[in-house]
Amino acid sequence: MPSSVIVAGAGIVGAALAYFLSARGIRVELFDEEAPAAQASGAADGAVSVASKRPGAMMTTALAGIALYRKLARDGVFADLFKPRSTFLVAASDAECEVLEAHCAALSGAGVRVTKIDRATVAEKFRVLSPDVGMAAEVHDEGHAIGYQIVHGLLRASGIAVRRREKVQRILVSSDGTCVKGVATAKGEYTADAVIIASGLGSADLLGLSGTLIPRKGQLLVTERAPALNGRMPGAMMSCRYLLSKGSQKGRPAPARGLALVVDPLRTGQFLIGGTREDHGDRRTNDLDAVSKILADAVALIPGLVDVRLLRCFAGARTAVVDGLPIIGRVGSFGNLFVATGFEGDGICLGPVSAESVVAMVCGEKPALNLDPFTPSRFPKLRIAA
Amino acid sequence: MPKCDVLVVGGGPAGMAAAVTASQLGLSVEMIEQRRTLGGAFFRQPIEGVRPIPQRASVKARWHKLSADMSRAPVRIHYGCVFLGVDSDGFVLFEDRQVGEVVRCAARAVIIATGAIEKVHPIPGWDRPGVSTAGGLQVMMKETGQAPKGRILLAGNGPLLIAAAAQMAMVGNPPVAIVESGDPMRPGLTGLGLLVAPYLLVEAFGFLRAVYGAGVPWLRGARIEGIEAHAQGLQATVVRRNGERSAFVVDRVGLHEGIRSNDMGLPAIADASTSSPIVIRAGDCSEPLGALAAEADGALAARKVAALLGHGQSRGGEQALLGRLRQAQAVLAKLFAPTIAPLDVPDHTTLCRCEGRTIGDLKNLVAGADLKSGREVKHNGRFSMGSCQGRFCAANTAELMTRLRPGAPPVVASDLTGQRWPLRPVSIAALVAATKVKAPVD
Ligand SMILES: Cc1cc2nc3c(=O)[nH]c(=O)nc-3n(C[C@H](O)[C@H](O)[C@H](O)COP(=O)(O)OP(=O)(O)OC[C@H]3O[C@@H](n4cnc5c(N)ncnc54)[C@H](O)[C@@H]3O)c2cc1C
Ligand SMILES: Cc1cc2nc3c(=O)[nH]c(=O)nc-3n(C[C@H](O)[C@H](O)[C@H](O)COP(=O)(O)OP(=O)(O)OC[C@H]3O[C@@H](n4cnc5c(N)ncnc54)[C@H](O)[C@@H]3O)c2cc1C
Repeated sequence: MPSSVIVAGAGIVGAALAYFLSARGIRVELFDEEAPAAQASGAADGAVSVASKRPGAMMTTALAGIALYRKLARDGVFADLFKPRSTFLVAASDAECEVLEAHCAALSGAGVRVTKIDRATVAEKFRVLSPDVGMAAEVHDEGHAIGYQIVHGLLRASGIAVRRREKVQRILVSSDGTCVKGVATAKGEYTADAVIIASGLGSADLLGLSGTLIPRKGQLLVTERAPALNGRMPGAMMSCRYLLSKGSQKGRPAPARGLALVVDPLRTGQFLIGGTREDHGDRRTNDLDAVSKILADAVALIPGLVDVRLLRCFAGARTAVVDGLPIIGRVGSFGNLFVATGFEGDGICLGPVSAESVVAMVCGEKPALNLDPFTPSRFPKLRIAA
Repeated sequence: MPKCDVLVVGGGPAGMAAAVTASQLGLSVEMIEQRRTLGGAFFRQPIEGVRPIPQRASVKARWHKLSADMSRAPVRIHYGCVFLGVDSDGFVLFEDRQVGEVVRCAARAVIIATGAIEKVHPIPGWDRPGVSTAGGLQVMMKETGQAPKGRILLAGNGPLLIAAAAQMAMVGNPPVAIVESGDPMRPGLTGLGLLVAPYLLVEAFGFLRAVYGAGVPWLRGARIEGIEAHAQGLQATVVRRNGERSAFVVDRVGLHEGIRSNDMGLPAIADASTSSPIVIRAGDCSEPLGALAAEADGALAARKVAALLGHGQSRGGEQALLGRLRQAQAVLAKLFAPTIAPLDVPDHTTLCRCEGRTIGDLKNLVAGADLKSGREVKHNGRFSMGSCQGRFCAANTAELMTRLRPGAPPVVASDLTGQRWPLRPVSIAALVAATKVKAPVD
């Protein structure tokens, strides 16, 4: 077991690594180019959800991710930070109903508890929804968590002081080339028994992954408090178009700028409304075109939103991987260099549980998750950048 | 969709001067103003049918000239329109509250002249009903032509307290006292520096005469410690330099600790000729120097924009005037420097009113060796996350964070507020209405 570990990046993955390492009594040096949750983890929607995952490794990992959230909420680390709720997949058109039927089957097949709700029942029980809704499916036992709050909770529990505004510039290799020694920043060199790269898009520069990691922008909106409407929403409402845009149904191409509607009632009485998936650039800005279209969709689904005010909009860049799966595991032949990144739009859900398994791996144990599908070795170009 | 060379945001003296000068220089100009009248904070116009409060002749003359110039200039004014920001496509966004629609405007340049806001320090009870800003009471007087009712205590720092008290006295309800942390009359100080701006001296004498004439006590070197509920209204505790305490039972308290730029969340300044759009700030929202300076700075901003847009260089006397007024402000700041140390503020004191967060909450969050950024404190303490978008608490939170962590890098208000639209909460109905407007084609 290592006695010290360096982690590059204090997003949700880096913060969770710090938490699980510290819990084992391992000394952690956590670096961030900016500050904790400065990138995707501070600009995420926060669905801790299996509802929209593609069947297979992502679905099973998401189920483990949700279970970990529940456990950490019980243990107190995520006390008040995890809101258990269902996700309602809502279909309007015939095409959407068709996708939804297929998706429900896949979810049930993976052991997820799903209840289909027909048109009449939707109209009777969910009056907040537009009468145009054709059918819905309730995906049970899910939840919502706000990325920056989770990062904060993990760091507080780990008790460490983060090295803010200190970018990891290089990974230092031992003189015989068999393992890594540590990292270099503008302030100097740091050594440790192991190094983990959890730098989101910044991982590309450190590991020669440009072209493999792709920024995928998302824009999100937050409303003012509207407790009455919020209280009438039984859970998150997710338009089935989300399934199409996310490409979780294989064989359907995703547009360059997809709008995928999710309306999440927050604990504060506010609503979080998402969002876009955009292939162009990593800008952290919002445009009226996207914002007004998202809201038009939201009002079409939940007409009551028309009387609420928008408080904030924000945007972030997801770290996507060309083949759609995260990159988690040991790097090349270096026994003590690890990577955990590429979670695209799922890292709030998958980040903590993946970090737990990486820490097991770092400590020479067999990880609880099957990380094989995510192995870094599927990218031969992946190496320590000079 | 409106299309123009220059969009001016805010119809105070800075915005008006900017619009007038820009159109004189041959640029097409439009203006948005959230209210239904021009004038801003200083030249706030009375509502219809109300007799204005007495004003000095020179102030009246300045307003007449400015509004006459403005009505002659071919500037389209959109009233009832709230500036929301500049989006990532480079469009200026505003909410037209009369029509109920968010509008995007393709402007080559934006001159932002949104003025100043008053600073208020958190003390126990600052968020009680009946407590407002002193300038807010003053502006209300200008609008209604009447003094605010009841017994009023003004407290804080700076010349505005005297001006507000004088105007209240003139319309028949002088405040019960002015509590001032500075002491401009202390021995060893001469007002001679003020000769750089003689009009300020004239103004000051006029105000002081009105205040003394009405017998209003001016408690200098004193601070207000807290405001509590009382059977007959509010009870304010005042502490003098020598530690002596006294209580005032009043109906209202007007607090004021000077002004700061109303720049929360504003888009970044972009003043290269290649910027699209060019974004610059003018008047109090760029540097809070008062109404006369605002007017000069507005004209200067218009000249700068004209030059950037290739409409040629031009010069007025604004730079020199601004220099003198800057010096005058520095002298005023020295005159009014507090002569009593800040009081201890208890942890239960509200810091963020929108989200109900206290000074104690902030202390807990920033305690320890892990030096959180302003953004982290915002996110996890919810400071500046409420509907005022940080207008009331961002600066105080940043200041307190900096004070609580000596040695750590200082935190500024914009670390909490960021720079993104919408600057104000905006109706979703109005945003949805914007989808009906076709995106512009160039
Ligand atoms: C709009 C949007 C909506 C989303 N919605 C959801 C959702 O509903 N559910 C869900 O599960 N997930 C969601 N996600 C995805 C989730 O936010 C991310 O997958 C997750 O936050 C990734 O965490 P991370 O720690 O890998 O990366 P990041 O949060 O990006 O963290 C990487 C950190 O590394 C730092 N860094 C970079 N380079 C260096 C360097 N060289 N040295 C030191 N530090 C460095 C950065 O400053 C950053 O803080 C969403 C994302 C976005 C953008
Ligand atoms: C309460 C108060 C009292 C003052 N009293 C005095 C005084 O007695 N003597 C003195 O010399 N100076 C005083 N000042 C300072 C003086 O008002 C200013 O120096 C002067 O008015 C500044 O002019 P300006 O054009 O920069 O801003 P302002 O006059 O404040 O004008 C800004 C304009 O912008 C508009 N606006 C703001 N935000 C938006 C938005 N998002 N969308 C659309 N419109 C917007 C406002 O409605 C306003 O009309 C006072 C300031 C304040 C805040």
